[in-house]
Amino acid sequence: MSSFTVLVVEDDVWLSEQYARILKKSNYNVLFASNALTAIQIIDDNKLDVIILDVLLTGSTAFALLHELQSYGDIGEIPIIMCTNLSSDLSIENLSPYGVKCIIDKTTMKPSDILVEIKNILL
Amino acid sequence: MGATRGEHNKILDGPQFTGLSSVVAAAHELKSPLVLIRQLSLMLEDSDLEIIEKKRILQQISLTSEQALRLTSDLTRSARLSDALFDLEPINPQQLCEDIINELKPVFEARNHDVRLLSRKNPLLLIANRDLLRRIIINFSDNALHYSDSDNTIEIQIALHNSGNTVRLGVRDYGPTLPGDIMKSIKGRFFDKSMSINTRPQSSGLGLYIASQFADVMNGSIGVIRHRDGSTFYIDLQASRQLSLI
Repeated sequence: MSSFTVLVVEDDVWLSEQYARILKKSNYNVLFASNALTAIQIIDDNKLDVIILDVLLTGSTAFALLHELQSYGDIGEIPIIMCTNLSSDLSIENLSPYGVKCIIDKTTMKPSDILVEIKNILL
Repeated sequence: MGATRGEHNKILDGPQFTGLSSVVAAAHELKSPLVLIRQLSLMLEDSDLEIIEKKRILQQISLTSEQALRLTSDLTRSARLSDALFDLEPINPQQLCEDIINELKPVFEARNHDVRLLSRKNPLLLIANRDLLRRIIINFSDNALHYSDSDNTIEIQIALHNSGNTVRLGVRDYGPTLPGDIMKSIKGRFFDKSMSINTRPQSSGLGLYIASQFADVMNGSIGVIRHRDGSTFYIDLQASRQLSLI
């Protein structure tokens, strides 16, 4: 089993499940959060290597979570991959100070794109 | 938690959709299911998938397509509201809700949700158009399925209000339970105050707007109650006096 743990923050359960299919096949440990509050709890309780983050979440957007993580010091350094329908409205320049390493466009991504980006970050 | 203890809002000031804005909102609402269908379809190209996994993916594609098609059907019906006449008739809400639960059973099961009907002991009737009311409750149910945590029960509630003059049909979903003090302290940090309380944050509000249009046609109104652990979306309709018909 890989020692790498990925947190998927995504409010569509079936899309989370789809990400997990890909990640588990490559032996990543996968944790799930459907909203920012649950994500914070999981981040507090686990050692994470990467966060895959959707932008529009139930209860708040990813930006509130990014701000919150920044205030936490060490866990604010966990690399983040944003996976969103809104990629054309976001810029990596604006988000990189919050630990965002790349933005994946959900509308054009291939299932393996997540793996490629995680490997780019971790290896 | 009782419905009346939540944060209660009539949906009166939600987004308005006309012309281009409705097209944009529809595109936004359809994007998520299409993204999911595309991802799942691409996954099926993986020859290493076990049969049981392939079956699950195919079921998810099918149910997600049906959800998207319901939205397109509601949009079409909404656009033609002014041209059509909708008969209002006495309806047994319990029977209607039971039919809806049977209709949505595959999607409830596939998403690991239980659904239960909370109705009154004594039967009642309301005045509505059967097709429009069915669409509203299915819309609320789809919403609840998407936004509540897996393994939680979704409740369809039937209650009398306004001294028995109004029948309320509500769909209650359950999210993570937050202790009151934590809810208070995080609200400012995690919830955008400028965001309309009437819509889900990632939603354009188009579904609710269509539901409110359908409710208007039936002289009803829709609203939402925010609970500490979820929401109840509801429609209020005039009670029928023809109880003897049941």
